[in-house]
Amino acid sequence: MQDALLRLRYRYWPDHLLGEILSKRWTETAIPVIVLLIITILLSRAIPGFLSVGGLADTGRQAGEIGFIVLGMALVVIVGGIDLSVGSMFALCDFCALFCLNVLNWPVPAVIVATLACGAALGAVNGLLIGYLRLRAFITTLITLIIYRSAYDLLLFDYSNTIAAAFPDFPSWNFVGGGVVAGVPSVVLVYIVVAVFGHVFLTRLRPGWHVTAIGGSRRSAYNSGIPVRRTIALCYTASGVLTSIGALFFAARLGTVGGDVGVGLEVTVLTATVLGGISLGGGKGSVAKALVGTLIVLFVINGLTTLSVSGGVNRMVLAGVLLVAATIDIRWLKNRTRIISKVYVSPTYHGLAPAASTAPGSGPFAQNDRLRDVTLIGLGRIEAPEDVILDRNDNLYAGSRHGDIMRFLAPDYQEMEVFAHIGGQPLGMAFDRKDNLYVCIGGMGLYRITPERKVEKVTDETNRSLYSVNDDSRLRLADDLDIADDGRIFFSEATIRYEMDEWPVDGLEARGNGRIICYDPNNGTTRTVLRGLKFPNGICIASDGQSILFAETFGCSIKRYWFDGPKTGKVETVIDNLPGYPDNINLASDGNYWLAMVGMRSPALDLAWKMPGFRKRMGKRVPIDEWLFPNINTGCVIKFNERGEVLDSLWDLRGVNHPMITSMREHRGYLYLGGIANNRIGRYKLEGADPGFVQYDRRWGKSK
Amino acid sequence: MIAALKSFTDRLLGRGDATITVPSFDGALKPNQILENAEIVAQFDAPEDLATDGKALYIADGAVILRLDGAATTEVRRFDRPVTALCCLPDGGIAVALDGREVQVFATPSAPAATVTFSDSSMQAINALAPGPGKTLIATDGSTARPYRQWVHDLMERGRSGRVLVLDPASGSIRTLASGLAYAFGACAGGNDIFVSESWRHRVIAFGADGSPRTVLEHLPVYPSRLSPAASDGFWLTAFTARTQLVEFVLRENAYRRRMMAEIDPEYWIAPKLKSGQSFLEPMQGAHIKTMGVVKPWAPPRSYGLVIRLDADGVPRYALHSRVDGVNHGIVAAVEMDGALFAIAKGPGRLLRVRLAGIEQELRG
Repeated sequence: MQDALLRLRYRYWPDHLLGEILSKRWTETAIPVIVLLIITILLSRAIPGFLSVGGLADTGRQAGEIGFIVLGMALVVIVGGIDLSVGSMFALCDFCALFCLNVLNWPVPAVIVATLACGAALGAVNGLLIGYLRLRAFITTLITLIIYRSAYDLLLFDYSNTIAAAFPDFPSWNFVGGGVVAGVPSVVLVYIVVAVFGHVFLTRLRPGWHVTAIGGSRRSAYNSGIPVRRTIALCYTASGVLTSIGALFFAARLGTVGGDVGVGLEVTVLTATVLGGISLGGGKGSVAKALVGTLIVLFVINGLTTLSVSGGVNRMVLAGVLLVAATIDIRWLKNRTRIISKVYVSPTYHGLAPAASTAPGSGPFAQNDRLRDVTLIGLGRIEAPEDVILDRNDNLYAGSRHGDIMRFLAPDYQEMEVFAHIGGQPLGMAFDRKDNLYVCIGGMGLYRITPERKVEKVTDETNRSLYSVNDDSRLRLADDLDIADDGRIFFSEATIRYEMDEWPVDGLEARGNGRIICYDPNNGTTRTVLRGLKFPNGICIASDGQSILFAETFGCSIKRYWFDGPKTGKVETVIDNLPGYPDNINLASDGNYWLAMVGMRSPALDLAWKMPGFRKRMGKRVPIDEWLFPNINTGCVIKFNERGEVLDSLWDLRGVNHPMITSMREHRGYLYLGGIANNRIGRYKLEGADPGFVQYDRRWGKSK
Repeated sequence: MIAALKSFTDRLLGRGDATITVPSFDGALKPNQILENAEIVAQFDAPEDLATDGKALYIADGAVILRLDGAATTEVRRFDRPVTALCCLPDGGIAVALDGREVQVFATPSAPAATVTFSDSSMQAINALAPGPGKTLIATDGSTARPYRQWVHDLMERGRSGRVLVLDPASGSIRTLASGLAYAFGACAGGNDIFVSESWRHRVIAFGADGSPRTVLEHLPVYPSRLSPAASDGFWLTAFTARTQLVEFVLRENAYRRRMMAEIDPEYWIAPKLKSGQSFLEPMQGAHIKTMGVVKPWAPPRSYGLVIRLDADGVPRYALHSRVDGVNHGIVAAVEMDGALFAIAKGPGRLLRVRLAGIEQELRG
């Protein structure tokens, strides 16, 4: 009863999503967004009409103007600097716009261009000094703040009366200042366009990545060939341009030049930047954060002003909010990865019925010591041969953990050579009709080695699932494969949540994290055909040529999936409840199938699989070396048929040569054995097996 | 109230008593393979305890007591129940515990009948005997809840019912020196004190002449067992099995432990053992994976072989090991005789001999 409830709770409650969501980069913005929501709710309750259309449009106008400057500041902060001169630049650009319009009487487009150019020039001064002359950003912009402000004061002294006397009346200018399109102020529209571009720029474009890289580590960025100085200079220039856009809208809206224009603006902007969660250390930040920060600051300022709070208190509150937000933000950023590592691993209920007995004399699984008499190939010379395969010239191929495909030459398999170097751990292997060797490489995908020893990538991504939070398009652990008559390749991916070396964590979860993928060489597509499998592993085309037999290692079962014919898409269980963990499946000479058992079930783990809470706590509190593991120190090979009958079993009980067996191939009366944690390949003489059996010939016909 | 709150937060945060950390084999306990490479003197079916009168070695093997002179073993006496403890008395007699429930004292090893028999209904798991002060006999009773052979049940039930008894052969009286111990297993008199191993608390305690206890040695990475005097001052402390973080963790996981004890054969529990690696049905831990044909000796020990040499104050001087990749595990008894240490490895059923000459210089140099 309790077990049933537990099973339901773990089947329908997606524990694993929390960790996946938290590991998304955008959750870094979570804290500022929550602060924004709280402030919005508080203010809308305190101030009637705070969220009305008119109120929002008004806020939107201001938000747009400051927002541009915050974007510029964000850019500069992300690249690892700071720009204190934005307030003075803002004032100068405001003056420039109004001077061109009111004094020089330029047309509006020319005014816009001139103002932007003015902003760019002012920013470029910062950029030159900081980027190329490598002055300190803080000091430099502090100095330009003073210089620009003095220049503004001097100009103001000469021209303020002239500017104030003119009353330009251009519809286009008025539109810039107060225009509305479908209820949205013009400034907001432009801001949206710039913000969207900024987002794409920072997250998708090469220069944007350069900016983040420089902010993250200037030296590394330089070493990897990024033009650090130019990029920094351009960032300050961009900051100047963005400030001038803000100033342009400000000039068009208010049309005034005064002594207090832009005074203290840098503090407001900086507050918004930090509040949004853009780290002053550089390298971290986004447009969304800049926007959220801007809104928080504006809401607080406007809200408090509406509530007739005096200016001093207003600034105190702002500072207080900044302090609290910065503290929370730092704690959150610092502990985020720790929280994720705590919640990402989410074991689920996995109930298995008691396994069949393996006691001597108990049936097909009865233990014996027949594998004691193997001859060893490559002892101590090959490491981690997960799969072994023989070509039709009797040469033996095996993977190694150094990322090589090794070849042992017939007839005595004493001579070993590197057949091809790939770079990742080779797992399952199969020959196609044209003698190409297809190999699943853990962490890399599906690769092909031509008879000329050329290594080619076949595929390393599949279609992304609709409902997955993690991006599951990349292949993490392609495991074993087989090739259908029409050339389609079916391969298993053991887990989509972990890397190859983390397979025990997947075993701890015991969730269906794996899938089976089909690569079609006829049109070059890769599609996922089956999902939610418990560590799918061995794959073998069944006798009808329309289906595959596949092993689910942690599911302890063999299943069959039809990809063609009348039963297309169906999955049936062939053998359930195996006493061990099935691995690779391969053809036997008598038309049955060999199955490698990488390890055997133990009652302690079977029980733990029914107790997800226990496993979760174990995962957190016990180091991985001490975890309760699937026992893969004893394995065996069994023979079964498509009806699910187990016909025979071969054991190495003392575990001297083959403690774990991950694969086996029959070839000319011998069985060749591989194991991923082993340093040898075993060769076992099969009594009564067809001495002429070659898998390649059986599969593709005796050619040539 | 505060204690309850503390134990709650400890459990929540995995602190204090709830920590599952295990000290490492370090300092005087630095690993070696001396026990693993020790000479195998003899092989027995069910060796349990050792004793010596200085001239010969007596071995309790199942229900039989054997005498070892040089290489020859002779049967001294045979009982109808398994012998769970054995000791030689200073007056030339021997004392044996039968099935943990009865203690018999014989005037000589081959005396026809027992001079005194202590049998008390509360005796359940007498697992060690030692001569005490003033012709008394000290006995440790591991648990009053479980018989001796079910020591692993007592551990997994977090047994706290061990006792130290003082038996007086002159009057036939039984005095309880201490009770409520987390498995008392092994005792030895030294100076005016009585040293006792408290296995489940991983420590050695000493009772003074007035009966007051003090902790001599604590935070051991193993479960200590029988003690015997060393020839030159000090003691030999055996450790019948070692601790692992997984077992410590399971000891704190009540639901899992209950179900494990109810549903699984004790052979395959997540629990310490006297020998391991016999079956794939045993639980396997991460570091146990045989890689490139090798089992790592530093993997978490499901079974282990260890004898620690203590000085007269109970401070470890050096230790003899048989590590995880070895077989001489489950050292339940060790006695020194003729410049050699004899030890019973109960796991493989072996009697081992280690020559002690120069060993301390080698290990501490």
